[in-house]
Amino acid sequence: MVRYLLRRLNLFLATSLVLFIVLFIVTNQFPVEQRFALTGIQSPNAQQIAQIETDFNLNSGVFNQFIAYLQQRLSGNLGISATSQRPVADELASVLPATFELAAVSGTLALMFGLPLGILASLSRHKVTQHTIMAITLTGYSIPVFWLGLTLSLWFGVELGWLPISGRLNLLYEIEPVTGFMLVDTLLSTSPYSTSAFFDAVLHIILPAITLAVLPFTVVVRITRSAMMTIMDQTYIKAAEARGLHTSRIVLRHALPNAVIPVIKSLGLMLGSFASYAMVVEVIFAWPGIGSWLVAGIYQRDYTVIQGGVLAVALIIIFLSIMIEVLHTSINPLSRKELYASN
Amino acid sequence: MPQIKVYQGDEIPSPMRKIWLTFADNPFAFAGLWAVAGFLLLAVFGPLIAPYSAEHQDPQALLLAPSWDPAGTVEHFLGTDDLGRDIFSRLLHGAHLTFGVALGIVLTSLVLGFIIGSISGMMKGLKSSILSHLLDALLSIPSLLMAILVVAVMGPGLNNVFWAVGIALTPQFVRAIHQAIHEELQKEYVKAAKLDGANPIQIFWYVIMPNVWDTVIIQTTLGISAAILDIAALGFLNLGAQAPSPEWGAMVSQGMDNILTAPWTVTIPGVAILCSVLAINLVGDGLRSALSPINN
Amino acid sequence: MPLLDIRNLTIELDTPHGRVKALERVSLTINAAEIHGLVGESGSGRSLLARAILGIPGHNWSITADRMMWDGRNLLEMSSKQRRNLMGSEISMIFQDPSSSLDPVISVGAQLIESMPAHKQTPFWRRTKKKKQTAEKWLHKVGIKNTERVMSSYAWELSEGECQKVMIAMAVANQPRLLIADEPTNSMEIQTQAQIFRLLSKLNQLQGVSILLISHELETLSMWCDQLSVMYCGQIMESGPTSEIVAQPYHPYTKALLDNIPNYSGEMNHKSIMPTLRGSAPALQHLPIGCRLGPRCPEAQKKCVNKPNLCHKKNRYFACHFPYHEEQCNDESTASS
Repeated sequence: MVRYLLRRLNLFLATSLVLFIVLFIVTNQFPVEQRFALTGIQSPNAQQIAQIETDFNLNSGVFNQFIAYLQQRLSGNLGISATSQRPVADELASVLPATFELAAVSGTLALMFGLPLGILASLSRHKVTQHTIMAITLTGYSIPVFWLGLTLSLWFGVELGWLPISGRLNLLYEIEPVTGFMLVDTLLSTSPYSTSAFFDAVLHIILPAITLAVLPFTVVVRITRSAMMTIMDQTYIKAAEARGLHTSRIVLRHALPNAVIPVIKSLGLMLGSFASYAMVVEVIFAWPGIGSWLVAGIYQRDYTVIQGGVLAVALIIIFLSIMIEVLHTSINPLSRKELYASN
Repeated sequence: MPQIKVYQGDEIPSPMRKIWLTFADNPFAFAGLWAVAGFLLLAVFGPLIAPYSAEHQDPQALLLAPSWDPAGTVEHFLGTDDLGRDIFSRLLHGAHLTFGVALGIVLTSLVLGFIIGSISGMMKGLKSSILSHLLDALLSIPSLLMAILVVAVMGPGLNNVFWAVGIALTPQFVRAIHQAIHEELQKEYVKAAKLDGANPIQIFWYVIMPNVWDTVIIQTTLGISAAILDIAALGFLNLGAQAPSPEWGAMVSQGMDNILTAPWTVTIPGVAILCSVLAINLVGDGLRSALSPINN
Repeated sequence: MPLLDIRNLTIELDTPHGRVKALERVSLTINAAEIHGLVGESGSGRSLLARAILGIPGHNWSITADRMMWDGRNLLEMSSKQRRNLMGSEISMIFQDPSSSLDPVISVGAQLIESMPAHKQTPFWRRTKKKKQTAEKWLHKVGIKNTERVMSSYAWELSEGECQKVMIAMAVANQPRLLIADEPTNSMEIQTQAQIFRLLSKLNQLQGVSILLISHELETLSMWCDQLSVMYCGQIMESGPTSEIVAQPYHPYTKALLDNIPNYSGEMNHKSIMPTLRGSAPALQHLPIGCRLGPRCPEAQKKCVNKPNLCHKKNRYFACHFPYHEEQCNDESTASS
């Protein structure tokens, strides 16, 4: 097991290294001066130029430049944003929690509704139910997320006026950021309005979270359904029936743990498109997360913000996908079997 | 007593025909196939049958509602936008930008991915492992981020979307084909062919390829729908096709200003995107279920 | 009264080629505390019969029968819940592929404990421990020495023989009255096979469990079984006490099977023809009418296009128009038990 974890860590490091190489090459291709692309300082004075050149080792070969680049980036120096003149790392720290909050809520929603619906779909032998569920999930899978977001905000936000359509919290409330997660912060806050602020935060997150949850929800339903259908035909399910176990017990204890395994695997594969969707959703609902920050960065040609954002998102995705793989291995004894076989 | 057939000649269809029969048996998939064919025709001949040109502005008909609305007219079947441009014509002109470009991107990255994937799939050891690390890194950059990087380097525009989406899609093809080939290589029948004295090229083409085609086909349909969605999303974010272009995602983004007064300027292009992606996914879904009994 | 009494059970399958009678008018009687062998080649519907008795039908089956009695109770009239209750406590089954009959993601011990009967009189805080003890006791009984290791392993970490022993432990833990063993020794070595059979026969003698033993090897079955039924293509050909059937088969198919058993006495001539039936078993969608053995039967005549009824001679049953038996059976009388 230790050996396996070491190999995953090795994979993480190797993949991150490749990512840094790609970013280094891209940075040199940006259509601006290299010094500006690296640090974000628009018009540096002579002293700053000298500092940048020693920091990034600009006068030596490409390899040494890369090493210096890697050192700077790993030590947390992501440069400063050209528009706000604040360090990119600080800005990242302020926008990341919002994205995590949104992603966590919609991921939970997708799993909470997707798994049971997938199981129900697999258990029903009724043609109409099956076709309906397939039609819904296929449509959900095909819907362009920006259009879905606009339509939802038009209906629920404008015509019905039920839900707010932009931001994380009404501007009336002033909440001290502690964790960065608005749902937690409002509860922690000592202000007399903290409960109403919490409900306001909940109202704000509903629309973006639902919009973002559509893709993982449909994927979870489809994978759960097909996995359950194959598993329910397996001998061990028949054997469990033959032992006289109750159907609900068979489904929950024997079929579900087996069906969750491919679902987890598909979640890992879906991370990339999930991140893309999250960015679009953040732009539509003016959610102050990393996606809208990054898109604003590209509108303003803020190259340090682009680099920092891409680096952060890609690293998070690499990390999460490896974590999901480890989780997949840890709950799936069968994959451990392959592990023993390969070692 | 059931009717007795004296001679029970059983016709066994060829594998291709069997796939086709299973596919045609599924009405949804068949409808999807027709829709895809329709979209293909529109992508090629759309500009010819469009009643107006994409940029033609009718100052008499600004923000005209679609024809089924009491305020609409038949001249502008799907209504007009804020500059008086006919939405129906723009959709037809945009078909080859969204649907056609998506097909072009997928074909290009399929060929590239196929070549790289099959070479890397047949390789073993360190080279293969380095390549798969590289692919993992490229895959971990979401397509939209990849597009942002490309746009940051080359500036926005539909041509750059081609590169952006292509670069994001190619690793997926490479990876899928690489894994499929790698999995097949482990199997016993490949060993048997090797023992029969087949050289690597023969093994690749005659032994492995027939078992990888279904992965390629399924990946292609997935790729097309992803490409359409990506092109549209980039157009929507103003990173792809720029303002006057009738690309469907860009049309949605242009309609955003009038979303409250004229929701159809947003709804109709969105429905067009939804329909095209849905058609592709229906075909892909039908193909997947038609191909899967072979695997079992 | 017999423990299980089945008359004219017919199972039809809905296939893409139309409806197929996979099992046609099968009758089977199992008495208490006997080992009943069911022999037939693969595809002759033995597993279908087993699953129909147990009550886990597939979704495209339709089952009809004149009578299906379990210990005086009608199985056909029971609700699926009653059937399920019966399954755990009175009828259990072991499958031909033991390692895939165990859930791969749960440890063997947990599955074993799950199938242990609940002790109502034990207080609930001690039930878990009690169940674990019972599970270990049963593992011991089926001949597994290192119970700790087996309990904590997963199905794929055990050998086929060990898995089958665990399956048997699970099946007998509830002290069933009938154990259906569907090819329990498929793909096992001879040593393990013998172990499993010895175990089953010990269970039969010590606990009085009736066993329906399904196999394709007449030779093995004739060693262990009291009663024997021979099946071909979903029809019962012959049924009766093993010793009598082996000594004097009435049905051409049984005779062919017995002739098939290789003769180790060394009296065979070099390169002599091995006695087998002509042709091969038909596919399910191309079944012949009447007696399904008809086209392959050495004794077949025109009359064989009608399905022969099951005849009753003393304690032997057979379904043939031209049996190896002096006096003809009158066709209209279906055997009364």
